[in-house]
Amino acid sequence: MDLSLGHFIGLASVLFGIGAIGFLVRRNVLIQLMSIELMLNAVNLTLVAINRWMPGNHAGQVFAFFNIAIAAAEAAVGLAIVISVYRLKKSVQSDSVDLLKH
Amino acid sequence: MDFAFGWDFGRALMWIVLLPLLGALVNGISGRYASRGLVRAIAIGSVGLSFALALACFAKLVSLSGHAAADGEVEATTKLVNVVYDWFSVRVGDAVIPVRVALLMDHLSAVMTLVITGIGLLIHLYASSYMEEDPSYARFFTYLNLFTASMLILVLASNMPLMFVGWEGVGLCSYLLIGFWWENPTYAAAGKKAFIVNRIGDFGVLLGMFLLVATTASFEFAEINANASSLAIPLKLDQTHTIAFLTTGTAACLFLFLGCAGKSAQLPLYVWLPDAMAGPTPVSALIHAATMVTAGVYLVVRLSGVFLMSPGAMAFIALVGATTALFAASIALVQNQMKKILAYSTVSQLGFMFAGVGVGAFAGGFFHVFTHAFFKACLFLGAGSVMHAVHAHGDADLRELGGMKKFMPVTRWTFLLSCFAIAGFPLTSGFFSKDDILLGAAFIGTGPWADYPRWVGWVVFAMLAVAAFMTAFYMFRLYFLAFEGEFRGGQGHADHAHGHDDHGHAEPHESPWAMTLPLVVLAAGAGFVGFLGLPHWLGLPNVWEHWLEPSIARLPLAEGAHVSAAIGATAMGVGTLVGLGGIGLAYVWYVKEDGSTPARIAASLPRLQALLMDKWRVDELYALVLIRPMAWLARFAANFDKLFIDTLLTKATSSLALAAGWLVTRVQTGAVSMYGAVMVVGLAGIVWWFVVPHPGLQHVVRGTQVKLQAASGLGYEYRFDTNADGEFETPWSAERAVDGNYQPSDFRGGAIVLTTLRPGQRDREIVLHGGEPHAFDAADLGPDWVRGPAADGAAAAAGGTAPVDDTVPAIRWTVPVRDLFLPFAPRGGLAHSATLEEAESLAERIASGESTVEIARARATNDEERTRLGAMAGEDGVDGHVKLADGTDVHFERGARVAVAETARGVHVVALDSGEAILRPNGARVRVRGAEVTEPETRLRPGEVAQVGNALVRVAAVVSATVEVRNAFGYTVDDTVDVVVQPERPATEARADAPGGAR
Amino acid sequence: MSGSGELVFWFAAALAVLSAIATVAMRSPIRAAVGLLFHIISLAGMYLVLHAHLLAAIQLIVYAGAVVVLFVFVIMLIGPSAETGLGTRGLLVRTASGGLMALVMGAISFALIDYAPRMLAGVENCPPGAGAECGQYGGVKALGGVLYGAAALPFELVSVLLLVAILGAIAVARGRSADETEALKARKLARASAGGQ
Repeated sequence: MDLSLGHFIGLASVLFGIGAIGFLVRRNVLIQLMSIELMLNAVNLTLVAINRWMPGNHAGQVFAFFNIAIAAAEAAVGLAIVISVYRLKKSVQSDSVDLLKH
Repeated sequence: MDFAFGWDFGRALMWIVLLPLLGALVNGISGRYASRGLVRAIAIGSVGLSFALALACFAKLVSLSGHAAADGEVEATTKLVNVVYDWFSVRVGDAVIPVRVALLMDHLSAVMTLVITGIGLLIHLYASSYMEEDPSYARFFTYLNLFTASMLILVLASNMPLMFVGWEGVGLCSYLLIGFWWENPTYAAAGKKAFIVNRIGDFGVLLGMFLLVATTASFEFAEINANASSLAIPLKLDQTHTIAFLTTGTAACLFLFLGCAGKSAQLPLYVWLPDAMAGPTPVSALIHAATMVTAGVYLVVRLSGVFLMSPGAMAFIALVGATTALFAASIALVQNQMKKILAYSTVSQLGFMFAGVGVGAFAGGFFHVFTHAFFKACLFLGAGSVMHAVHAHGDADLRELGGMKKFMPVTRWTFLLSCFAIAGFPLTSGFFSKDDILLGAAFIGTGPWADYPRWVGWVVFAMLAVAAFMTAFYMFRLYFLAFEGEFRGGQGHADHAHGHDDHGHAEPHESPWAMTLPLVVLAAGAGFVGFLGLPHWLGLPNVWEHWLEPSIARLPLAEGAHVSAAIGATAMGVGTLVGLGGIGLAYVWYVKEDGSTPARIAASLPRLQALLMDKWRVDELYALVLIRPMAWLARFAANFDKLFIDTLLTKATSSLALAAGWLVTRVQTGAVSMYGAVMVVGLAGIVWWFVVPHPGLQHVVRGTQVKLQAASGLGYEYRFDTNADGEFETPWSAERAVDGNYQPSDFRGGAIVLTTLRPGQRDREIVLHGGEPHAFDAADLGPDWVRGPAADGAAAAAGGTAPVDDTVPAIRWTVPVRDLFLPFAPRGGLAHSATLEEAESLAERIASGESTVEIARARATNDEERTRLGAMAGEDGVDGHVKLADGTDVHFERGARVAVAETARGVHVVALDSGEAILRPNGARVRVRGAEVTEPETRLRPGEVAQVGNALVRVAAVVSATVEVRNAFGYTVDDTVDVVVQPERPATEARADAPGGAR
Repeated sequence: MSGSGELVFWFAAALAVLSAIATVAMRSPIRAAVGLLFHIISLAGMYLVLHAHLLAAIQLIVYAGAVVVLFVFVIMLIGPSAETGLGTRGLLVRTASGGLMALVMGAISFALIDYAPRMLAGVENCPPGAGAECGQYGGVKALGGVLYGAAALPFELVSVLLLVAILGAIAVARGRSADETEALKARKLARASAGGQ
């Protein structure tokens, strides 16, 4: 069986789903951040895969490249927030931060 | 427009108006931050410049009319005109009437402009000192400048709408200035009273203006006056009704006079002016004595051509004016407040002016406007000077004055001179102008104008003579009580002085030069401007009348009518006598006798005295008749608002919103997981949208051409089956639109399109096809289905014997479409609301192979309207056959689907799915192809139109189209639409189908 | 697609799914971080299959080398309390939304697993007349050319973004000394009293 684009996008959607479920179900901010990384990686996979089937240019790969850069920035800021929250609440549970309720 | 006079004078007109307006703007915006000196400089400077420009324009006008007199071209060259810009235009009938912002200075408005800017300048100067203590100094001058600008617009406007702008502007400024000290609720109420009473008058001005423009087709004063003869027609109520005894001119004059009565304080709308004395005294002098209140007289003189068309209205004006003069003078006799007396005196003098213009002495009445401006302004300013001296705030009580002459000599002498002028002492200005009015009344009494009632002249003459006597008396009563005798400064003085510690004078003192200078100038005017209007009958030159001649319409006097010396002498003699008599009586009673006689008279007539003191209790009458019912209505409305709107509607809706908001905030837990969950729902929606294709097939019909268009989407591909026969005409492609062209073989159902042809009513199309229930009523189809020409046709067809049933309230199609459209059920069942037995019997007959079916009598949803309908169709070799209740038959093709319609007149239309239709007039008048249908049955081809009454029945057909859409992932979705196509009418019959042209 | 590429794909796919599940399911964050590391490595392999060589390298350097290390660093900093239980708050909503997400993604995967796009074209088969960069697909030269050519502006913007992120991270994570906190409080009080007048 030859590989088709469907294989890659199907895999990517499974990975994205796992990341999303992790983000939704887990309450540990660290794990939630990792879940976000999973989702970003899934998106990168679709970009690279679709680019592979449209090889006339490198748009998909360039986008994936920028995504990686943005993911790095996001991880840095996100983890800084985690540290800040931990300092205040002595906890890394996302539910403990709900002051923006109203 | 002709600018032959040079652009500079046209421009100057504009700047006359603009300068005070700019002054108001600057002071209004930045005055509160500026020093008093700067505010004063701007306010006085702008009016002063405006006065200088007005003088220049006046000089130009004088030189022009000098030339004109030499050339004999009076009409064209006695005015300066400046069209500033085109404002808007109005369509009256077929004519488009432009409204321009155009300024016009002719001999009439030149005089008014000089009075406004000249006296305005003096009063600005006076006020700059008088208002020195007031914290709202800049606000006062803003209003005063704005008033000057508005008043200038009023008099310089060359057409009625622009005049109305000024008219409203002065009303607004009057309101603002009366309520200038708004902290005092009484003053604020006085302002509101003035404003509201003026509104009533403005209503009249508007109505009068509309009448004039509707009749003379112009807004320009000059053209209205020139076309005034067209006003002599009975007043039209609408296209057909007129009022025989009232001409348009009279109605317009009476409406305009209502406005003048409001603005110029005539009976019965005078009530606001006495209260208007709540404003600062310079305001009383400028607005409520010298300028604004004379706007009504100005308007009458300006439209003299119109008023001459209606002697009745003029007589009415004269009588109202004379009554007002007498009435107000009687009130002024007993008042004790200085400004109150002057206010009633103003009302009375305005009555003189209206009496003057009412008896046709336009120049005389307007002369009184001119002289009155001087002496009344001087009197008010003198009163203000007195109040300033004794620190009276609001008004000064005569009982607390007296002997002022030794404290303030300048004020005393100017006041005395003005009193002589208003009393009509010989050779003062008031003497000449009042004499002109009396002379006019006496002259008209001799009957030189055939249409004018003579008796009015003498009645007005008598009333004015009495009023003049009273005037002389109360003015000198005022003078003697205030300036002669001993100072009686008492309680009030001490109270008021309290608020002015910085002055600290125990004794009254003369006012500063800025206040006395205007007094002197005005008093000089009051003394001497009368010589402009020397009596003509003595052979003396009347400069005034000669000057105004080009601007005022000539009275239609009888041949040879002229003012005889006897009449002139009578008027002058009576005028002199009553004036001197009034002064003498006041002298005897208040100087010789120290006021004991009038006190005794008042004591012997307590009720009359009380009535006069209460100003004839007119305000109380208004309160009873107008204000209380209004207040009751207002309370009712307020309670309704409170109980129904606020409680029921507002609370209900707001609590609904609150509840919804509460519900939504339940989601706002602040927990990230909750927000994530909500995001997932949105994400699922987006995913669904992108993964599942959305055909969204739409169509545009043009005859049998149908443009089909599917929705666009990412990576969509389409293929179309335009006639829904299961075979796709187009291959898969990204093209999302396709044109379908239909032949009769593609038709899948019949349809009837009903269109009303009522003029003015939006066309309504009702399409009957494929099984969707729809109930029709008269509103759907229009009353023509019930009461069209078809009714006559029905009667004619019945041989004229059958009564026409015009009482049918609505078309009888109150049945749902499923009764009209009867698809044949394959097994022979009958799919409509016939009774069960009928259906069974029909089914049997079809099953047994009978080719003819009896009528099925369907029961309408509405019992009393049994609809005679039936439709059957055959299948599998059985031809459809329907027999309608009237015994006629309809045949169908095999497998046909039909739509059947019946109108109130009994017209049947049966549409077949071949696109053809069968039409049965059943006696009603139906037109097809331009000709009336005579046969009992006609076949209509696709696209043909039958006219029933004023409604159109168009035969149409139903086609179906399908599109399949697949997206990049290979998902495929299809969508089918039914389209009603209306085949073009056969070309050869296009012209004959005339009714269709109305669409 | 070559047969060896197919083998790598299935292996990497299995590893990616398993490590992803490990990442979200592990109770201990440090174990989850290890799962994430494996996940990233497997995706780098996937990129190799897809002929994105430079990207695979960047994936390893940036993700495995920087991001995961950062995670581990923070976990170590926080210490034992970095580990939390599943908790009960909003468990129903969380489970339901997670289930819905699983449904949606499952549907998409199921729908797409056989999807063969019509514009399939192999990189190896360069069309006649194609430029020299054709065979360079996914290589350093080709991708670098794009990054410093057409995408130069966004590339520079990303560098600015990273700088801002660094500054933001410092500002957010930096703690305040007791003195600083006192000074801040005093300033706030002064401002409040000034606004009240």
